[in-house]
Amino acid sequence: MKMIRAILRPEATEGVAEALAASGFVSMTQIHVFGRGKQKGITVGSIRYEELPKTMILMVVEDQSVDDVIDIIKDRAFTGNFGDGKIFVSPVEAAYTVRTGATGL
Amino acid sequence: MKEIIAIIRPKKVGPTRNALEELGFPSMTATAVTGRGLQRGIAGEVNMDCPPELLVPNRPSGMKYIPKRFLSIMVQNSDVDTVVKTIIEVNQSGQIGDGKIFICPLDTAVRVRTDERGESAVL
Repeated sequence: MKMIRAILRPEATEGVAEALAASGFVSMTQIHVFGRGKQKGITVGSIRYEELPKTMILMVVEDQSVDDVIDIIKDRAFTGNFGDGKIFVSPVEAAYTVRTGATGL
Repeated sequence: MKEIIAIIRPKKVGPTRNALEELGFPSMTATAVTGRGLQRGIAGEVNMDCPPELLVPNRPSGMKYIPKRFLSIMVQNSDVDTVVKTIIEVNQSGQIGDGKIFICPLDTAVRVRTDERGESAVL
């Protein structure tokens, strides 16, 4: 299993979530975060915004689904401008469902 | 070292914290998150009764995303099973929406105050 953490524009997450649900990846967690990337924030006029609001989508999927999920997120979150976001994939060793105590997703 | 990520009901954070504290795991990071599971977030957990004339037709009732608490607990390899068992015991209500637990590997940890590294930095 892999954990996919995608840090996206807040306005893009709804479309991403819908597209993921349509492809069968329903389970997800949304976290509102602040951060900056290579461009060190953004300058509008004379005001510098060091940290920008983003939404982090966190989901855990089976290994073979990782590429599908990344493709869907890339497709729906893309605008071509700086700040579209990043996707990180990290390993998950085990998953438990609290209600049943069963292992696996 | 492992990171235990538990996404649980907000009202269960207190009991979970107390149970883990008794076992000697007082440290955790908690974040307020929203999310949904296999039931698409319409499990009726946060529903209230509405007169039908107030509802938008052909739209599912309930919330799209359900508020949850995201707990991140760093433990030694040998303690993973104890912590997972405790979290499951405390949070199990049998209703959909009890949550999920994920175990992720952790490379290293640093205690900022003393610059300890590795296992001794995790409590």
